[in-house]
Amino acid sequence: MKTKIKVMVFLLGGLAAIASPSIAHHSASAFDMSAPVVLEGAVVTEFLWINPHPLIKADYTDEQGNTRNWTMEMGSTVSAQLVGWTRTALLPGDVVTLYVWAAKSGAPVGRFNKVEFDDGTVLRDSQRGADDGGRSDQGLRQ
Amino acid sequence: MRVTCTGIIAGVAGLLLLPALAGAQSDAPRSPWKYYPEEARANEGPGGPAPVRDLTGTWLGESSGGGVPRLVRPESPPPLTPLGQQVFEQRIVEGPGVSVADTNDPHYRYCDPFGFPRNMNDQIRSMTIATIPDRTFVLLKFMNIWREIWTDGRDLPTRFTGRGADVHDPTYNGYSVGYWEDDYTFVVQTTGMAADTTWATEQGYPHSVDAVVTERFHRSSKNDLTVTTTMVDPRLYTRPVQMGEVYFRWSPRQTFFDFSCVPSTVQQYLEEMADPAGTGAAP
Repeated sequence: MKTKIKVMVFLLGGLAAIASPSIAHHSASAFDMSAPVVLEGAVVTEFLWINPHPLIKADYTDEQGNTRNWTMEMGSTVSAQLVGWTRTALLPGDVVTLYVWAAKSGAPVGRFNKVEFDDGTVLRDSQRGADDGGRSDQGLRQ
Repeated sequence: MRVTCTGIIAGVAGLLLLPALAGAQSDAPRSPWKYYPEEARANEGPGGPAPVRDLTGTWLGESSGGGVPRLVRPESPPPLTPLGQQVFEQRIVEGPGVSVADTNDPHYRYCDPFGFPRNMNDQIRSMTIATIPDRTFVLLKFMNIWREIWTDGRDLPTRFTGRGADVHDPTYNGYSVGYWEDDYTFVVQTTGMAADTTWATEQGYPHSVDAVVTERFHRSSKNDLTVTTTMVDPRLYTRPVQMGEVYFRWSPRQTFFDFSCVPSTVQQYLEEMADPAGTGAAP
């Protein structure tokens, strides 16, 4: 089943990459959508399965050894479930690579794009999970 | 370019393999308590004729992942009176160029109830309709809201302001009556919606407490239900407003995800995420 989910998520990401971005529920005006920030080796500190938006919190240590705790929002719990997420998809202590559209404000917060696990699994945001920042759930909406 | 090519390859592969994956998933164990959007998407077509004068059951909306067509938005621009324009201009609607930190949408900032009619044109996830001899209930999954529609022939109340024993308190969902226009069309009229903190639409359209909203629930087949809405509100609009059409499909398993906005968690979201992210203006 896990393999099926991984394949489905990969395929949905591919579909999203060839689809035109549509207007998301929430504006992205606060975020730099030109390129995601990559938090490689980030350690998940908390995964809050809440509405209106689940929050991913993770410590990221940069090349200079400075650690910051990032907070990232994603689509609602319902939207996230439609693209493969569950309440326990991320757990504290998970070491992952996070892609995030960072806030222009400079605060360590942003709109979540995708997470890569060390086994190759990828989970994406519903609204901003495509590689170009578009939706990753186009196939689920007409 | 490399990313785009990868996406195209993955997308084409997806189009070819999705039917096989869907077939494989159908063999997986199913819980009667869970919602499986792929089942809803597989339930294609009309499914047979609509039953006579019957809307009972659970219906999936456009944001359910059930393959339901997107709604038709309210007419734009709205035909506002000068007073309506004044109210409308006070609303800072979240959208392109306006972040969550900017908006004064009372739902996005505080999880305030949408109120009617917004709860029938925004966050369209899932709806259950239930009927007893003198009433029909519309139960909305988003925020666990229920609307009460009287079908015993009573008239709508008319006074919501001023003094007197015949004044009715405005409510978030107003006062509703309903009747069958024909065997497949249930008409609901609603008035007396609290207007102080509610918007009529996500786009910030206003309504007054005296607005009268008419909904036509038309079931064209077993699987298809369309709700068409108009609003008459002479204080704020120069003519009746077309509030759009919302589509629903029959839910094969009659289930859906739980989904509510919780005031304490929206405050946490704003404090820890949306407000630090800011408005998009230079720091």
